[in-house]
Amino acid sequence: MKTYCSAVTFFAAVCALVLCGCGSPARRIDPTTQGVTTVGDVNTRDWNDVATRAINSLIASGALVRPDGRKAVVMISEVKNRSGARARTQILTNKMRQAMLASGKALTTTAVGGRGPEDNATRQVRELENDDLFNQATVQKRGTVIAPDLSLSGEIIRQSTHAGRTRENTFYFHVVVTDLQSGLAVWEDNFEISKQETVNIFGY
Amino acid sequence: MRFQAVSIAAAALLAGLCLAGCQDTVNTIENRDLSMNPNSVDARKFSTDSFCRDRLALLSMRRSMTPGGVMMVQAQIRSERYGFWSELWSGFRGDNPYHVLYRFNWMDENGMEVPTAANAWQSTIFIPGETKFLQGVAPNSRCKDFVLSVMEDPNVN
Repeated sequence: MKTYCSAVTFFAAVCALVLCGCGSPARRIDPTTQGVTTVGDVNTRDWNDVATRAINSLIASGALVRPDGRKAVVMISEVKNRSGARARTQILTNKMRQAMLASGKALTTTAVGGRGPEDNATRQVRELENDDLFNQATVQKRGTVIAPDLSLSGEIIRQSTHAGRTRENTFYFHVVVTDLQSGLAVWEDNFEISKQETVNIFGY
Repeated sequence: MRFQAVSIAAAALLAGLCLAGCQDTVNTIENRDLSMNPNSVDARKFSTDSFCRDRLALLSMRRSMTPGGVMMVQAQIRSERYGFWSELWSGFRGDNPYHVLYRFNWMDENGMEVPTAANAWQSTIFIPGETKFLQGVAPNSRCKDFVLSVMEDPNVN
């Protein structure tokens, strides 16, 4: 009987080890339909969803259209993450700047940005004007860089709540386009992502 | 024996009624004499998913131009998962409300797809009987045609 119990215990331990060792090999996924969804973070699907809704809203509003027919120049200002969650806000702004460029109504500048210029080269090349190593006729002149007409900014905040074993997080994305001449917002919209989970009685 | 079978059937029916009674459905009221004059789109459907086909009804598809001169499309879709059997079935499956993904792809006048940062699958949730307007905005004024794709959310349903 003792031998039988030992054998059963051993078998159960081996089964548990095999089950714990099970995994899946690395594979590529479609980030817009698959991917991990967690309640506490903004996931890839959420970024794609919010970016698509924001782009559609902005393009539909006509806020990028200038009365003089010229393409608006947009600077990417800061999207403040006040959610407390890990959030790379550049994912949103990069998609939006790409869409604005593709719309044919606006151009984005990299010479100035909310956290300093995205590309320092515009300023750096002008510092070559005193460098005799360079042919001065080929050095970019000062006073030629186009200043922005509009800026894109925003904010992410989070509302958390829980009841019993159910936990819920709602992320609010507020995105604004400001006319830099007047300081007035010419477009703004809010997008919400709500996620909820109920943990089991063991707490996971 | 026969009494037992009848009892089981009655209990099952009662359980079904209770489950169906727990469903939340959307009831709508609208004005009868509509004054709008929408620019309707003659839609051509290609459905590979019998679940999606039976649960969502395309009521209308309309298009207009935005102030920026690009095409905007709205598909009016209603969840058909109301009624006794639908509610009973969705109650058993636990897929109520119905989680759906949709995406617009845009084509230029040559029939070539116009790439856009806004063509990711978007998620939406249908409560039984609910009507929603799935909206897509063309990325630029070169877009003349579109394809709307709808699928069940594989991560939920």
